[in-house]
Amino acid sequence: MADPTAQMGLHMGKSAFDAGQQYLESNMNRWVNVASLKHYFNVSNSYVVSKLRLVLFPWWHRPWSRTQHLSHNGGQDFGVYAPPREDINSPDMYIPLMALVTYILFSTLLAGLRRTFHPELFGLTATTALVVVFLEIAIIRLAMYLLSINNESQLLDLVAYSGYKFVGVILTLLLSEIANRGGGSGGWVGWGVFIYTFAANGFFLLRSLKYVLLPDTSPNTNSGQAYTASRSHRQRRTQFLFIYSFPLQFLFMWILTRDSVPTAVLTGSK
Amino acid sequence: MFFGFGNIILVGLLLVNAIAVLSEDRFLARIGWSTTVQESSFGGAQDNQSVKAKLVNLIASVRTLLRIPLIILNTVVVIYLIILG
Repeated sequence: MADPTAQMGLHMGKSAFDAGQQYLESNMNRWVNVASLKHYFNVSNSYVVSKLRLVLFPWWHRPWSRTQHLSHNGGQDFGVYAPPREDINSPDMYIPLMALVTYILFSTLLAGLRRTFHPELFGLTATTALVVVFLEIAIIRLAMYLLSINNESQLLDLVAYSGYKFVGVILTLLLSEIANRGGGSGGWVGWGVFIYTFAANGFFLLRSLKYVLLPDTSPNTNSGQAYTASRSHRQRRTQFLFIYSFPLQFLFMWILTRDSVPTAVLTGSK
Repeated sequence: MFFGFGNIILVGLLLVNAIAVLSEDRFLARIGWSTTVQESSFGGAQDNQSVKAKLVNLIASVRTLLRIPLIILNTVVVIYLIILG
């Protein structure tokens, strides 16, 4: 292009675009920590497959601790957790995010098959799922404050852990829909799959959150706090871990697998 | 049972209101949940770690910190509900 005005216009447009992008990036870095977000999406195909298998069959997995790279940074070394690509125990955000979207789309699809679809269903399902996740995080944070658990685990870790239950919920919905032929998620198959995925999810959470909520099993943390937790304290923490993993998850998973309208009415059965 | 978004915000607001209206000296002192429960025999050691102490601290901080934002939020919600009917 030899036209000088066109070239100048192009140059101006390019510099305007660069300025806009820089502005966006600096603001994004203030609100969203992009670097740590990238850590959660650093997954590989084999990781996703093995992690899904781990969520649904957590019974025989042996070492549940996350591997750390010890990095020296100016005299003090702190453990940086390995990314999900290298460590299967590391929580990622890819699976929970995909599972959440799949759950929303799938339950709206089921509503469409039962002819109870209306466009607000998308928003309602999304809001319900997000509220469930938010409530879980709030409960864990509240318990961490009340039980004096000092832990530097990130917020997105907890979000990831509470997002893994969507995998079980999707499986429950899918299998009960196939088995009941549109009759809703009740019946033997529905409840059986629900109980199994609930148990698997509870076990998975129990093992994973043990390292988050019960911090007095690691010998080389250099947190300055002395070992002052009394025995009743530790008992209470363990109790909370159990209460969180099982009854609470039951409640939340049950909420997520409910049908909006009693389908016995719709299909005319019973 | 789908949670509408506005519903959840209203429920949360009502719950926080409920925590904030617990009067310190009329109610909490009666049941021993006030912020100055310490026997003078200790001298300086304050029980800051148990669940009850943390709950008491939490209630007190909700009361002091969120008083003004709660007033604003309540006014907004009341006006909104009046307009909607």
